[in-house]
Amino acid sequence: MRLTSETIEDVLDLVLVKVERSLDLRDVRSIDVYALLLLDLVVRHARESGAPLRVTWPESPSVRRWMTAMRFFVDVKAGLAPHPGSQPTTLMPIVSIDREDDVSRLVGSFDDRLSDRYPMDESPRRRFLRILLELFQNIPQHANATGDVLDPHGIAAMHDDGHSVTLAIADKGIGLARSLRLRLRLRLGLHPDSPGQASLEQSRLEQSRLEQACLAQTGLSDADALRAVVFDGRSRFRDPGRGHELERIFRLVRSWEGTVVVRSGSALLYQSEAGGDVVDVAPFPGVQIALSIPRAVFGIGEAAFGEGGVESRGDPGFNEGNEENDV
Amino acid sequence: MKAMKKTTFEISQFGRRLGTRLEGETARRVLLAALDDLPPDGQLVLSLRGIDVLSGSFADEAIGKICQLLTSGIHGDRTLVVASSSADLVEDLSDKLAQRKLALLCRVGGTKGTWRVLGCLARPLVDTLELLNERGSATTKELAEALAIPPNACHNRVRRLVRLRLVREEKIDVAAPNTQYRFHAIVE
Repeated sequence: MRLTSETIEDVLDLVLVKVERSLDLRDVRSIDVYALLLLDLVVRHARESGAPLRVTWPESPSVRRWMTAMRFFVDVKAGLAPHPGSQPTTLMPIVSIDREDDVSRLVGSFDDRLSDRYPMDESPRRRFLRILLELFQNIPQHANATGDVLDPHGIAAMHDDGHSVTLAIADKGIGLARSLRLRLRLRLGLHPDSPGQASLEQSRLEQSRLEQACLAQTGLSDADALRAVVFDGRSRFRDPGRGHELERIFRLVRSWEGTVVVRSGSALLYQSEAGGDVVDVAPFPGVQIALSIPRAVFGIGEAAFGEGGVESRGDPGFNEGNEENDV
Repeated sequence: MKAMKKTTFEISQFGRRLGTRLEGETARRVLLAALDDLPPDGQLVLSLRGIDVLSGSFADEAIGKICQLLTSGIHGDRTLVVASSSADLVEDLSDKLAQRKLALLCRVGGTKGTWRVLGCLARPLVDTLELLNERGSATTKELAEALAIPPNACHNRVRRLVRLRLVREEKIDVAAPNTQYRFHAIVE
């Protein structure tokens, strides 16, 4: 079993729609970086919702080593015991994005990791850094724009599979539809939040009521919002200088013949050079994005085999039993 | 018309990698102070020397919003131009200016580089601007003849360029029934 941007949807469907409380990942032989971030958020979301998942982690030593090297769940005791063998060198392990004033430093660390490993062409490198700057700052700027999200938990990571460099960035904040509804709510004359005047729970209830009112009047679904942001460059601001970042990034990655995945709420856009469209998926908070850019764009040749050990080749020295953990 | 005072502003003082709106806001405050220090017809040359990356968000917050203010006229006849070592450095700035329906002149490639328009400027306006930049200065009549267009159409074009602070105007005959103007390029 491979956990990819497509198959991770099966996991989400199990947990979010079928409300399964256990997750069996024993047979997972590889995980891509986007799926890894979503897995992180899903496990956290379940725990915060008061119904932690019982996870059986992958048996494959190479997958476990890679997950450890990617600093998967390094901040909590998730029960994923690190494999005793040497860890693969990852392109960029998972980092947290909390504050806007930390974004430039984080982008610098991504740049350093990428530049240290590859002598890249300047022009695509600069364009890639601009993408990082825009996507990273979106989290502190938008993921909790309503002020009622306990922890949007913005995270990002980067991986090189030998053919493409993949950047994944994800949060469990308000998502695109709620963000756009903030603008619509103002247009409809509804009052903005006043979090200081009510308890958080009251604030959430009020938020939900107002959003339902907006949705009823505007019909803005997750799919509509995703299309509006990615294809039309819409944002929650009236300022004409705002918005269009995702649209521009989307266009750029397509011009590089890369692929883009954008997930928000119950809508997912998968776009490759062959085309693509928005499809319905299990509803999950926040925005999750993956950009896969062919290595050739950066002037990097193709590797003989994907780095990072995500493709399991077995490891006869690994004989630990499976762990099951409530996380 | 007397030569305008030009002051170069090195934006690298805010770092080599200019990325977030928060950083852009800080830079805008300093840039506005530098603009206000200029004489009413002065020019701020925004140098991108030493810059590695200029994101759209920073560019919009620091430069796009200043361009918007300049077109409102609250900073008199002051103008702003950009100097960049490469075209790809100003790609996102150009996109952001286009979103605001604004334009800015940018010299690409060192002191002997070429001037190009960033942002959004219709082709006829670009033609008029390029002609004026080539000549240094001209009246509407002279421009209209060279472009082979009616004077009224030419007048509308240069008025738009003046509003965008891409050219300067000088009253040359206030005694005439209709005030006569001469238009000047803001770049050499």
